[in-house]
Amino acid sequence: MGDDEESVDRESTDRPPLADQRGVDTVYGASEDSHLLAEAAVEAVEPGERALDVGTGSGYVAASLAEAGADVLGTDLNPAACREAREAGIPVVRANLLDPIQASAVDLVAFNPPYLPSAPETEWGDWMETALSGGEDGRAAVDPFLEDLSRVLRDGGRAFLLVSSLTGIKAVREYAGSQGLDSSIVAEESFPFERLVVLRLL
Amino acid sequence: MQEDLMDIICCPLDKNELELDVTEREDGEIVAGTLTCTDCGETYPIEDGIPNLLPPDMREDAPA
Repeated sequence: MGDDEESVDRESTDRPPLADQRGVDTVYGASEDSHLLAEAAVEAVEPGERALDVGTGSGYVAASLAEAGADVLGTDLNPAACREAREAGIPVVRANLLDPIQASAVDLVAFNPPYLPSAPETEWGDWMETALSGGEDGRAAVDPFLEDLSRVLRDGGRAFLLVSSLTGIKAVREYAGSQGLDSSIVAEESFPFERLVVLRLL
Repeated sequence: MQEDLMDIICCPLDKNELELDVTEREDGEIVAGTLTCTDCGETYPIEDGIPNLLPPDMREDAPA
C-alpha cells in the first residue's frame, strides 16, 4: 500500500489531523486509520470466519468485515459507541479489550486502538479522549491487548493492529515479539505529522 | 444480542462460562436479561440488546 500514491493523495487532502477531531463528538467516526485497517483486514478474512473488531466505535471496520462474509462481533468501552454500532447492525458487547472473549474463539481480530501519546495535563476526560489517547507513551491500550491476543486466536488466527509512528512502530513490534507474536507491516500511509501502518500479528 | 454469542463470550474476570437468563426477547434477539458467571457468580446485565461485560469496577467508570 505504501507505493499507492493515488490513495495517499486522495486521503490526505481535506480531512483534519486526528488530534483536531477531539471533542467534536462522543463516538469516534471512521477516519483514514479506519479505512487502512478495514482494507487490510478484509483482504485477509474468509467468508464464515469469526472476526472481532475491538474498539469498534461507529462500527466501520466491523461492517466492512461483515460485508466480506465474516461473522463479526464488535466490542467497545464506550456505551454510545456500542449503541451506534448496534444500530448499524453490528452485534456488539461492551467490553474492555479482549477481556470477555473465550480462548481460541476467533479467526481474525482487528483493533484500531487509542494511540495518541498525551501528557496528563492535556487530557480531556471524555469519551473522545478514551477513543484517541493511549496514555503518555501511546501504548496504554496496545500493550495489554498484545498480552492477551494469543489466548483468543484460533489455530491459523491472525490480528490486524493499526499503529502510528507517534506511538512508536518499532516499540510496538518489539513488545509484540516479547509476547510471542510475529509482526509484519501489511499496509501503510503517510500523513504530514504521522505514518500509519497496519501490523499483521500471528 | 443473538444467542450464538454465548459461543464466544466468557466472564471477563476469570474466563469461565456464562449462564444466560433472558427477561425480554424481540424478533429472536435477546434485548434484556443477565449473564452470570458459572464460577464466580458475578452478574452482567444485558440492556437494549447490549451485554455489558465490563468488570464491575469499570462499569461506573464513565467519562462525561
